[in-house]
Amino acid sequence: MVTNSAEQEVLNELRDGVINYDEDSVREAAKKALDLNIAAKQAIFDGLIPGMVEVGRLYEEQEYFVPEILMGADALYAGLDILKPHIEDEDMSIKGTVIMGVVQGDVHDIGKNIVKMMFSVAGFEVHDLGRDVPLEKFVEEQLRTDSEMLCLSAMMTTTMVGMQEIIKKVKDKNPQCKIMIGGAPVSEDLAEKWGADGFAKDADNALKEAIKMIESLRHL
Amino acid sequence: MGHNLSPRERVLNQLMGKPVDRPPCYNGMGNVTTAGIDQLGYRFAELHEDAAKMAAAAATSYKLFGYECAVVPFDFCVEAEALGCTMNTYEDVNHLLYPTIKEKAIHGQPDPAAIAIPEDLVKRGRVPVVAEAIRLLKADIGAEVAIGSYLLGPITLLGQMMDLDKLFRLCFKEPDLVNSILDKLTQVTVTLARHYREAGVDYVCIREMGATTDVLSPKIFRKVIMPHLHKIFAAIDYPAILHICGGTNTVVDQMAGAGASAIAVEKKNDVVKTRETIGSEPLVFGNLDTYDLLVNKKPEDVQQAVLESLDSGVDAVWSGCDIWPTASIENLKAMVDTVRQYGAEKWRRQRG
Ligand code: B12
Repeated sequence: MVTNSAEQEVLNELRDGVINYDEDSVREAAKKALDLNIAAKQAIFDGLIPGMVEVGRLYEEQEYFVPEILMGADALYAGLDILKPHIEDEDMSIKGTVIMGVVQGDVHDIGKNIVKMMFSVAGFEVHDLGRDVPLEKFVEEQLRTDSEMLCLSAMMTTTMVGMQEIIKKVKDKNPQCKIMIGGAPVSEDLAEKWGADGFAKDADNALKEAIKMIESLRHL
Repeated sequence: MGHNLSPRERVLNQLMGKPVDRPPCYNGMGNVTTAGIDQLGYRFAELHEDAAKMAAAAATSYKLFGYECAVVPFDFCVEAEALGCTMNTYEDVNHLLYPTIKEKAIHGQPDPAAIAIPEDLVKRGRVPVVAEAIRLLKADIGAEVAIGSYLLGPITLLGQMMDLDKLFRLCFKEPDLVNSILDKLTQVTVTLARHYREAGVDYVCIREMGATTDVLSPKIFRKVIMPHLHKIFAAIDYPAILHICGGTNTVVDQMAGAGASAIAVEKKNDVVKTRETIGSEPLVFGNLDTYDLLVNKKPEDVQQAVLESLDSGVDAVWSGCDIWPTASIENLKAMVDTVRQYGAEKWRRQRG
């Protein structure tokens, strides 16, 4: 795609607006993009998304912290709200559907919320069950929605053990559902031992892993 | 200085700046064990609302492994409940779960004017239960060991009362609003600290768990957390310790200036670096891993970790956070015994 300097400037504004978590300037830039006839898809993938990637990098570098990530995502969504109605449907096919939540007895949801944000930015449809979610609820919701993936989070060693039961029940009823688990006390070894399909130590790796899983499903 | 200081004297003398024979081994967080609870025939879920059971369970750590303190309560919901939130103790779940806030008190945009601190705060929720447990503990083992309690710092408390994501955003967008609410909540911390003192605690730990740099930046820490901590420590007139979980090296200079008798940190804090940053004052407590070490490892690993911790410059060997209840008594004994045996010799402050 050819970009002239006026277009490039708008794309930069979108990107910087996300990095500076400035919802208003992102909205303005999104409107400008449409006025300039920049394809909505390009505005998203060459403007908003690189901004969010940079936010993620700044978080890893410990320049940004959890609030900055949340607000960067707010700014990104402010832009998406304006741009999304202007894209052709086939451009934005959903990558996959995911059920996500923090297991019963555990209120630590900061990490889960970051994972969720990354997934929805990347185009997954995420059903967030929240925190302190009864074990049964995961099973019910997975069966009800027939989601391709189930993501379980736990930050405590007492609550983490609940995952084992959920994994077993879901796999019994719906063996092709891909299950990924995470949270500080969880490990690769535990994921394997409990029969989950994957584990990731942070949101970035979680997303990469998820994309691989969904691809493997679709190649069946 | 006699060689037969009681645990209580050792803990309190040190907190008050008097000489002691060795670093004490205790904490200012939960330290009840499944072994202790089982011995009494109780379940974890029934301890939180019953002063006698709470006190009896808290005393088992001294009785079973010689811990030099007894601490109540065990959960993070007391203050929020007194301010109108409801708690879930998971009465009907078989395995051990920590209580959580089921229903938050603040929905939508918080309004400082609408947040009223009840006149009868000390009669609300489980405050009377905790105060009674303190009295019972004092009568039971209070002559020998230090009796402690903990209270949430204002931002951690506000995080229990409202949606945390919303609070995080507000810290940036409306810091003045957040500060005016936190200012009110400092009253809660101070009022309860005084109330527990009347009931008999020897020290209190202020836990600003939500303020770790794993989550919030040093800048926010300075802007919306420190001002209130300053106030709290200025208003408490007995030993008070500031504890923050997670990574704290980048805010430890601020913590050191909060006015606490000591600061307490977890494993993610590099204590050698902390000492380089803050110098020899104040006292630093820490920083044993609560799960990987105390639950999963063996007594010899515990011994080594205790020695490393002392070597890095801690003044009292504390767990980094609540001792995980399933930690083995063997490991906990190894922890206490190592401090007893090697504490004096390994203590960096003493070695100069
Ligand atoms: C903030 C915090 C709290 C807050 C939580 C607020 C909230 N809404 O989340 C509050 C103050 C409420 C709290 C309460 C308690 N806490 Co707390 N808390 C923490 C703390 C300091 C930080 C956690 C955090 O948010 N980290 C930042 C996020 C971004 O990282 P993360 O969660 O690891 O997420 C990343 C990855 O793990 C991964 N990930 C996460 N989920 C998923 C899911 C999937 C599918 C994948 C693939 C990846 C993935 O990606 C994320 C982003 O990169 C930790 C200590 C620490 N430093 O970890 C203790 C800690 C988790 N808490 C602990 C304890 C003991 C408690 C309490 C029980 C205390 C008490 N006495 O009541 C209560 C729990 C009540 C309950 N029943 O849940 C212990 C748990 C110990 C253990 N062995 O289990 C810890 C480890 C502290 C310690 N050192 O001992 N806590």
